[in-house]
Amino acid sequence: MKKFGNFVLMAITTLVFILLLGPLVIVIVTAFSPSDSFQFPPPGFSLRWFFDFFSRDEMRSAFTLSIELAIGSSIVAAVLGVMAALSTARSGKRISGVFQSLYMAPLVFPTIILGLSLLMCYRYVGMPVLAGLAIAHVLVGMPYCYRATFASLQSFDYSLDEAGQSLGASPLKCFFLVTLPLIWPGVLSGWLFAFIVSFGELNTALFLTGPGVTTLPIEIFGFLQFNGGQLVVAAASALQIGMILLIVLVMERAVGLARLVRS
Amino acid sequence: MDSTAEADVRFDNVTKHYQNVVAIKALNLDIPRGTFFSLLGPSGCGKTTTLRMIAGFEHPTQGEIFIRGERVTDIPPYRRNFGMVFQNYALFPHMSVAQNVAFGLKMRKLRRDEIAKRVRETLDLVKLNGFEDRYPKQLSGGQQQRVALARALVIHPTVLLLDESLSALDKMLREEMQVELRELQRKLGITAVFVTHDQEEALTMSDRVAVMRAGVVEQVGTPSEIYESPRTEFVAGFLGNSNFVDGVVVNASADGAGIDIGGEQIRIDGCTASAGERVRLALRPEKIDIVADHDVGNRESVTATVREVIYRGAATHVYLERNGVRMQAYVRDAAGLEPGREVRCAWAASSMVLLRDA
Amino acid sequence: MLTARPFYRRPFFWAVSAPPLLATLVFFVGPLLLLFYVSFMSPSSTQLFGNHATFDNYAQSLTDSFMLLTIRRTLGVTAAVLGVCLVLGYPVALVVARMTPRRRLITMMVLLFPLMISNVVRAYGWLEILGHDGLINLVLVKLGVIDFPLRIIDTFQAVVIGLLTILLPYMIISIANSLTAIDRSLHEAAESLGANPLRTFWHVTWPLSSPGVASGLMLVFFLTLSAYVTIALLGGVRYKLLVSAVFDAVSTLQWPQAAALSFILLALALIAGALIQLVLRPHRVQGRG
Repeated sequence: MKKFGNFVLMAITTLVFILLLGPLVIVIVTAFSPSDSFQFPPPGFSLRWFFDFFSRDEMRSAFTLSIELAIGSSIVAAVLGVMAALSTARSGKRISGVFQSLYMAPLVFPTIILGLSLLMCYRYVGMPVLAGLAIAHVLVGMPYCYRATFASLQSFDYSLDEAGQSLGASPLKCFFLVTLPLIWPGVLSGWLFAFIVSFGELNTALFLTGPGVTTLPIEIFGFLQFNGGQLVVAAASALQIGMILLIVLVMERAVGLARLVRS
Repeated sequence: MDSTAEADVRFDNVTKHYQNVVAIKALNLDIPRGTFFSLLGPSGCGKTTTLRMIAGFEHPTQGEIFIRGERVTDIPPYRRNFGMVFQNYALFPHMSVAQNVAFGLKMRKLRRDEIAKRVRETLDLVKLNGFEDRYPKQLSGGQQQRVALARALVIHPTVLLLDESLSALDKMLREEMQVELRELQRKLGITAVFVTHDQEEALTMSDRVAVMRAGVVEQVGTPSEIYESPRTEFVAGFLGNSNFVDGVVVNASADGAGIDIGGEQIRIDGCTASAGERVRLALRPEKIDIVADHDVGNRESVTATVREVIYRGAATHVYLERNGVRMQAYVRDAAGLEPGREVRCAWAASSMVLLRDA
Repeated sequence: MLTARPFYRRPFFWAVSAPPLLATLVFFVGPLLLLFYVSFMSPSSTQLFGNHATFDNYAQSLTDSFMLLTIRRTLGVTAAVLGVCLVLGYPVALVVARMTPRRRLITMMVLLFPLMISNVVRAYGWLEILGHDGLINLVLVKLGVIDFPLRIIDTFQAVVIGLLTILLPYMIISIANSLTAIDRSLHEAAESLGANPLRTFWHVTWPLSSPGVASGLMLVFFLTLSAYVTIALLGGVRYKLLVSAVFDAVSTLQWPQAAALSFILLALALIAGALIQLVLRPHRVQGRG
C-alpha cells in the first residue's frame, strides 16, 4: 500500500517536471535547428537563426534595450528597496505592518492594471516613453529587493551598529561600513531578482512601450502574434533563457543557492 | 518464575545501526509489568533510540521486541497500543484540548458518548477539567504537559512512553509533575518507560533504572541498588558523586577481602576478585565521616589532608588529598576542619563497593 | 540601526524612508486612485475621459451579455487552473517536503528556474508543442494515430495547460513551505495514537498545511487573472477573458471602460481571496506557540 502511494507521488512529480521544463527544452532545441519551420527532432545543428536575430534591427535593439532597462531599473529598485527595508525593519509591529503590505503589494497586484494606470497618468502629463517604462519596472522590482533586504536585516545584530556609533561613526558611515557589508548577500540577491523580473517583464511593457522603445519579450510577443512560423523567435527566446541562466549562475556563485531559494 | 509472562516489554538481542554508526549493541532488557522503568544516561547513549523502538518509530537492525509476549518488531506504530508523551508535547495546534485527547479514541472508532465520557474522566485525572475548549497555544507549559499525558492515557495503552517529557519545565513545576506522574502511574497500574538524563529524576520516580552508555546497558536495578552498589565506574560516577580508589587484593574470601590501598589496608564486604588482582573501589562522599582517631570504632579508615572546606547549606563539602589522590567527603559538622590539617576519614566497610568495568 | 532615542525623530531616518515611500505613493497608489476616479467618468473621444460622473461603465459591463460570458469564462478557466494546480501541486509538495535539505534546495531551484523566464517564451514553447505543426501533432501523425492534425491551440484546454505550467511552481513552493514547517513529532504523535498514514494525512497534515494551500490558491488566482500574454497566444484572437477585455479597452482608448473593468477584476480577486480564507480557515494554524 505504501509502495503504491509512493509510486503515484513520484509519477505525478515526474509529470509535473516534464510539464514545467518541457516547453523550455523544446524552445532551446528549436533555436539551434537549421530547418525553416518547426521539426522535431531537428535535422541538425545550426546557428542560423541567431544570426538572423542579430541581423534584424528591431530585435537587436529590443535585446539591448531590455538589458539596459533591466540594469537601470534594478539598481534603482535595489536602492529604494534597501531604503524601504531599513525604515521598516525595526519599527513596532502594527505600524510597520501597514508599510510592509504597502511595499510588498506590487508583487501580487495584477501588473496589467499597474501598467494601465501608469499609462493613463503618463498620457496626462506627457511622460517620455522610456522613462515611464523604467519607472514601472522599478515599481515591479522593488518588492523583491525589499523582501530580500528585510529578511537580511531581521538576522542583523544591531548592537554592531551601536558599537560603530559608539566609536564615532555617523549613522551614514555606520551603514556603509558595518551594516551594508553584512546584509550584502540579501541586497545582492534582491537586486539580481529585480534584474530577472525586469528582463522578462511583459504586462506593464505591453502598455508602456512605443515606437522605438520595445523590450525583447514584447518583440517576441508581437512576432508570434503577427508573423509566427519563423524560428527566429526560438532564437530570441533562447537568448532570453540564456540570459536568465547566466544571471542565476552569477547569483549562485555570489550569494549561494539557499539564499536564492529563500527569496 | 516465568519472566516472559511478567515482562510487559522485552528486548531480545536487539542491535541498531545507523549506516556505520552502532547506536544499540545487543540489548537484552526486560521491563516488568506495572513498573515505572527509567532509561538513564548521557545524550547519545541510545536511551531515546531504545524508547522509539518500543514505539516502532525505529526499527531494530537485528533482534526482536516483544510487548506482552507478542512479537511486535514488524508492526507499525499505529497498530501497537502504546501512549507516548513527546519531549515537546506534540499537541495538535489546530485542535482543542478535548479534540487532542479524543484523537486516539477517534482512531479506535469508539462511540461519541463513550469518547466524551472518557475524555472527561481523563482530564479530571490530570486536573484539567474546564479546559476542554482551549487551544494548545493558550496553555502554559505545565498545562500542555498534562494534556499530552491525558491524550496518551485515555486510550488505556499497554505501555506509557515518556521521552524526557519533563525537561522543558522549570524546577518547581518539574518536581511537582514528577510526584503527580508517579502517583498516576501507581494508581492506574500502568507500565511506564521513562527516558531521562537527569539522575536525580530517575532515582526519585522509578521502580527500576537501566543506566546506559554508548548503546549498552551498564546496569539495571532498583534506584538504591544502582546507587549503593554501582557495578562500573561509569555508573558510580553518573549517579551522584563518588570517590575512586585503586588497590591490590591482599586476601580474599567469601565474606570479604583485604585490600591494600597505597600502604594502608582496608576491608570490604564481599569480593569477587582474587588475591593479587588490581581493583578499583568506589566510595560515596556522604558515607565518609571525619572523626578523631579514637572514634573510628569498627569502621574502615584512612588518613588524609584537608585541602578545602566549602559550606553548602545541607552539608559541608570537604576536599581532601591522600597520596596525591583527591577525595571528597560530605559532613554535617565541619568544626575544626581547616586546610592543611591531617584527619581521619572513616566509613562502614559495607559502604565501599568493588567496581567491575563494563 | 537607530538606538535609544525614538527613531522617527532622527533626520537620517526620514532621509531614508522618504524616497521609497514617495515613489510608491506617487507611482503606485496615486495612479490607482486616479484610475478609480476615472472608472466613474463618462467616456470621451477627444480627451482621456469626459466630464460627468456615471455608474454606466460598471453597469454596462455587468449587464452586457458578452461581458458576462467573458467573466464566466474567466472564472471557468481560473477554477480549472486552481483545481489542477492543487491536485498536481500538492503531491509534488509532499515529495519536496520529505527530501533532505540539500536535495530540496536543488529541486526548488529547478522549480524556480522556469518562473524566471518570461511568460511569452513559455507560451511559445507550448505553441510549438500544441500547435498545428507542433510536436504532439507531428508525433501522432507520424505514428499514424490520426490523419489530420488536432486543433489543440485556441482552446480552453490549451489556455489552462499554459497557465498551469506557469503557476504550478508557486503552488508547489507555497505548500511545501508550510509542510516543512509542520513539526515532525506531530506525525509521530498521531501514529502513536493509532492513525495510519492516510488518517494522519487527513487529520494532521492537511489541516496544518492549510496556510500554504490558501496562499498558494490566492497567488495562483491573482496571477491567472492578469496573465494576458499566455491567454492571447494560447487561446487565440477570439478567446477573450476579462484581462483581454481590459487590454482591448485600452487599445481603443476607452479609458473609463478599461478602468471599470480593471476594478471588476480586482473585486473578483478580493472576493476569491476572502472565500478561500473562509473555507480553509488557515488562521487556526498560524501563530502556534
